[in-house]
Amino acid sequence: MADLMNTLLGIAEGSALAELRTQRPEVLRHTQGSHDVLLCPEDPGGLSLAERALVAQRVAALSGHAALATYYQGLVEARGVVAPARREALLAHASLLATSPGRATPDNLTALRAVGLSERDMVALSQLIAFVSYQVRAAVGLALLAREKVA
Amino acid sequence: MKARSFTLEAVEWDPWLEPVAAGTATEKQRAALEASPQANSPYFRTLAHDVDSLAERSPLFHSVMYVPRGLRRAERELATVVVSIINGCIYCSSVHARRFAELTKQPEVIQALYDQGLDTQLPPRLRAIVDYAAKLTREPAAMTVADLKPLRDVGMDDLEIFDLTNAAAMFANANRLMQTLGEPVIREAKP
Repeated sequence: MADLMNTLLGIAEGSALAELRTQRPEVLRHTQGSHDVLLCPEDPGGLSLAERALVAQRVAALSGHAALATYYQGLVEARGVVAPARREALLAHASLLATSPGRATPDNLTALRAVGLSERDMVALSQLIAFVSYQVRAAVGLALLAREKVA
Repeated sequence: MKARSFTLEAVEWDPWLEPVAAGTATEKQRAALEASPQANSPYFRTLAHDVDSLAERSPLFHSVMYVPRGLRRAERELATVVVSIINGCIYCSSVHARRFAELTKQPEVIQALYDQGLDTQLPPRLRAIVDYAAKLTREPAAMTVADLKPLRDVGMDDLEIFDLTNAAAMFANANRLMQTLGEPVIREAKP
């Protein structure tokens, strides 16, 4: 799989930014790796691929990152619909954590259990929301460095 | 009891989900836990429920925070404390405030951030780090090239800015995991 961050930000092979990223090879590898296991897992367990795309899209959109939101919207459209009750519960959790991470309570996990999420699914959902929150900010910082070079 | 304010004292963390028990962990879970900073902590044993994401996140976290060269370790720690204060993460803030204080012998910098807020008076380099980490946390979409100027003015190169970005971004991640899967607690001292 091509490196998503380089693709989205238009970081060309051999450019100064591509070179900068290779100075932190583990960051490069595991940023992509985290994306792959959270968005395209071989065994998605009880959190479907469509649901994962939906949640990632919501976090990217609420974080104001148009390019990532568009990328995840593409996955949403390719992966089909999510049942309404699940959709509502997952998006409520994604919105809460994306915008007010300090306001989560055990009741939020109870609400996720009520729509059928297992322990693993709840951890995967939390990792996914946390990952996209990281990814947005890492992408913003890299884009600033890229823009500064051409300014 | 639940910890309710930012502190330089040690804080623990209690999960809201039952963590994976050491005795029932699969081989894959054990390997991912071994590669995590503290294999036996309730936090990593909770994350072990979804083993593949833990196995990616631990080396990512380690590299962002501890790989040599680039931004000084203490400055990465400072950025993560700023992000954790904004996101309300008492546990993350305590851990990384203590690391900053160990590395710099300057706990007063952290105490000033806790007591007076993020706009407390700071030396220019720390000021630039705090401002960048704070804006990236609060308003990532509002960042512009002008936000790099204060970092350049205190002499930061590309790698240092890249490291600062990644440290702040990593705690957008850590604060969300910590605060959605459990809560910070202060244990009563045993008599």
